[in-house]
Amino acid sequence: MFTNTTRSLLGAGKRLRVPVPIRSLSSPSQPSAPTPTATQETAPQPAASPAPESVSTPTPEQPSEPLVKEWSERLGALGKGTRLPRSVQAIYMRPLRRKAEYGLPVCDLQLRSYSVENVEFFADFAIRAAYYLNLPVSGPVPLPRIVERWTVPRSNFVHKKSQENFERITLRRLIQIKDGNPKAVQAWLAFLRKHAFYGVGMKANVWEHDSLDVGKSMDESLPEIEKALGSHLAQFGQRKDNSVESSIFDTLDSDRFAERTSR
Amino acid sequence: MSKPAASLFHPKRLNLSGFINTRLIRDHNKRMAFEQTEPERQALRYMIRNTSLPGRTRAQAQLQLSQMHAYTRPTQIKNRCVASGTARSVFRDFRINRYQFRLQALSGELPGVKKASW
Repeated sequence: MFTNTTRSLLGAGKRLRVPVPIRSLSSPSQPSAPTPTATQETAPQPAASPAPESVSTPTPEQPSEPLVKEWSERLGALGKGTRLPRSVQAIYMRPLRRKAEYGLPVCDLQLRSYSVENVEFFADFAIRAAYYLNLPVSGPVPLPRIVERWTVPRSNFVHKKSQENFERITLRRLIQIKDGNPKAVQAWLAFLRKHAFYGVGMKANVWEHDSLDVGKSMDESLPEIEKALGSHLAQFGQRKDNSVESSIFDTLDSDRFAERTSR
Repeated sequence: MSKPAASLFHPKRLNLSGFINTRLIRDHNKRMAFEQTEPERQALRYMIRNTSLPGRTRAQAQLQLSQMHAYTRPTQIKNRCVASGTARSVFRDFRINRYQFRLQALSGELPGVKKASW
């Protein structure tokens, strides 16, 4: 009974935009505490409404200074003396970038989408992610749009004179990573793939640079690679029982082949 | 003796989904038949063109190639609309007939495709 009334009163207070001391209303510890805002007319159950002297104290017709302000005011007051954390604040700014020392391109990431918002948003996201991975980035470069057009007759049969045009425009953005650590680039690409955005396709070209003694380093790493590939390479090869000492002519004259081509 | 019946090329299980038609199934069978016999066809084609082989062998290979079933020829394969089975004006980009393309584009089922005006 009591909870029912409090709920209805709460609703009435919301509707009337009258300051409501919510704690006294919602707490069941003081069931007899009179609610100052209760209006006799809006309360659905007059029997449960509090004493008349408490009702008369505030005047709903002439609302005084509200004790609790509106949400917008309260939120606005939040930012006055304080500030957001830097990382959160950065979201409202242009993305930060690292400076490239040598400007050696390491990775080209192309983003494609049919909608501007998606591709712009994801390009921004990728640049921010690159900043936190210490990768100097350049872009996003808007590449030429790919426009495909189709013209089809409106009708399913004849009436060639009445046609309709359709098009699909692919938007592209190019993001280039410069002299980054290859492992960091891989991590960046993996992160982007993990957080892939809907309707945005990705294509990456990755280049790795090595010193002039590539041959030596490759020779050194060969045993390791062979060891790693050994289990896979063991699966390849010809079966010993499969080697036939016959020629192709025998195969052509064989029963199996003749069966396929028999009249 | 007659040529092997087309039923020889009926696969046990159809690898098809969506709209299904007799003609669509037939085309599917042709694709499967071509896929299965492609190495043989290529071997025969190679032998026919290889001038270092004896003429008799090449002639034999020609005969055998021409006697293979029609369904094993790649020219028998025709793109068909996956939504209606039609064989005419099928867009390769969408594998859909021009009319189905219009219907689906207008209902927004093809991502990115909009009515164009320029």
